[in-house]
Amino acid sequence: MSQAMGFMTDTTLCIGCKACEVACKEWNQLPAINGGVNTLSGDSYDNTRVLDGENWRHVRFVEQFNLLDPTRDGARWLLMSDVCKHCVQAGCLEVCPTGAIIRTEFDTVVIQSDVCNGCRYCIAACPFDVIGINQATNTAMKCTLCYDRMQNGLTPACAQACPTASIQFGPLTELKARGAHRVEQLHAAGETRAYLYGVENDGYTEQIGGLNSFFLLVDPPVTYKLPARPTLPTKSSIPEWLTGWGSALVAGVVGLLSFRQRRIASLRASDGPTASDSPSAAVRASAAHMPEEP
Amino acid sequence: MLLERANEVHWTWLVYLEMFVAGVAAGAMVTAAILEFAGRGRAPLARTAHFLAFPLMAAAGVLLIVDLSRPERFWHMVVMSERLLPILKPWSPMSAGTLLLSAFSGACFVSFVDALVDVRRVRLGGWHHGRTIHGGPLGVAWATISALLAMGVGIYSAVLLTTSTIPGWAHQVMIPAVYATTAIMTGMAAVVLIQAVRRQVDADVLSIAHANRWLVGWWLVTLLVFLLTLVGGPSARIFLTGVPLFTLVAAVVLAGIAPFVVAFFRPSGPAVRLALSSVLVLVGGFLVRYAIVMAPQSH
Repeated sequence: MSQAMGFMTDTTLCIGCKACEVACKEWNQLPAINGGVNTLSGDSYDNTRVLDGENWRHVRFVEQFNLLDPTRDGARWLLMSDVCKHCVQAGCLEVCPTGAIIRTEFDTVVIQSDVCNGCRYCIAACPFDVIGINQATNTAMKCTLCYDRMQNGLTPACAQACPTASIQFGPLTELKARGAHRVEQLHAAGETRAYLYGVENDGYTEQIGGLNSFFLLVDPPVTYKLPARPTLPTKSSIPEWLTGWGSALVAGVVGLLSFRQRRIASLRASDGPTASDSPSAAVRASAAHMPEEP
Repeated sequence: MLLERANEVHWTWLVYLEMFVAGVAAGAMVTAAILEFAGRGRAPLARTAHFLAFPLMAAAGVLLIVDLSRPERFWHMVVMSERLLPILKPWSPMSAGTLLLSAFSGACFVSFVDALVDVRRVRLGGWHHGRTIHGGPLGVAWATISALLAMGVGIYSAVLLTTSTIPGWAHQVMIPAVYATTAIMTGMAAVVLIQAVRRQVDADVLSIAHANRWLVGWWLVTLLVFLLTLVGGPSARIFLTGVPLFTLVAAVVLAGIAPFVVAFFRPSGPAVRLALSSVLVLVGGFLVRYAIVMAPQSH
């Protein structure tokens, strides 16, 4: 395998220009949403709204304003260019029944559109709500980390277009070292809240082994609509299979025992006098349909 | 876990209808297996179960395929599209489910043909009326395999839901228990209903109907435990409010309480009673599947 590659998105450097979104759309030839008719979300300057099958980069605008405070002291505007996290243990890849989702030689996670049959299970399994159905292809789609560009030694389109180096691309080991240095730099400058989300021992993403596309954040993950404890769904499925089998076997045994007990009782009762509406009367009434006892 | 999600899986009526239909087929085959184990493998009720299961599985397959965004690629779940080698990922409930569905459909088909042979509609060489699988030396072994596959089919779709990150489904260990019992309960109800409508109520039908009342009791236990596990957790507001709560209560009343009321008050003859009880169980089972599939998606 080639060197593991990834993104580091430094949210402290993002200016919300959306060049990454445009570059991504253009390079990957992603269709316009809503038939090209632009509608305003009413949510800050964010009209992209979500990551999905047509938007593989999404600049999130988190406004933190106290509208009751006329001085606007402490007002903040958090900006984050969100993207597929290319999880080290990827739920989408684990559950995909067709093998359409693969791990590449760069340790990234890619959906092969020509294999995907649109079962949508990856959408349910993604802990980051990244994957959506692309309306043009009717298949599940997400960021490929520009697999085609990487294969030709090029930088992914978003990182290439980013004017502030908020999106950095490179070998993961190098990116993580750069990220750790950047956190130290921010702490020294007084921004003590800065931390990396998606690296080893970050206290958040251990259950999925970390992220190949990690983030430098200054607020808790939930502020950026990132899960505090993303999980790998297939890790917890054994107890669920067991309760299912346990319940089914109990039901089967209960059914068998109560059937045998009732049938023996009704056959015995059919030998004696019974009320007209009793089961045994019904047995006799339907004697014509009864097969011979084996 | 993200409590608010933008991308929806859109598993709607095709999916919960498929789960219901496949569950009924699975329950019918478990019913047939119970009869086989009791030495009644060639009873009319067992034949009805065999005649019912395969068409239902065929319908379930069509529903699943139609639900895909690219239905023409359904075979990618069975065979790798480029190398044409079988594909199986046992840790993926959908992949395991594809195998279970395929194997169970095959078992249903064999039993379906066996039932045709039994009623002299088909004769295939040495496979004739006097020498059928069910009721014969192979019957118990075949019924055991079919019943295990049936249970697998009844369970996998629930594990598929719980093996996700969708709030309401994720990590809900009791959903598979509810699904498994719902499948067997509704399958029994369906075969009893057919016999009741045909006015062929014999000791087997009455005994299976009796057994199903015990299963309904077990179903109520699993459902109650499931609902109790929700209390106080983040999924409570998904299932225990509004339409989902109303649907679950309706399911309990229809499938869990009304059949006992019908059995107690005996408003009519056994055939009508059995038909009415069976319909109530089927409707209740359907409502539970509807609630479990739709509540997390409509939340």
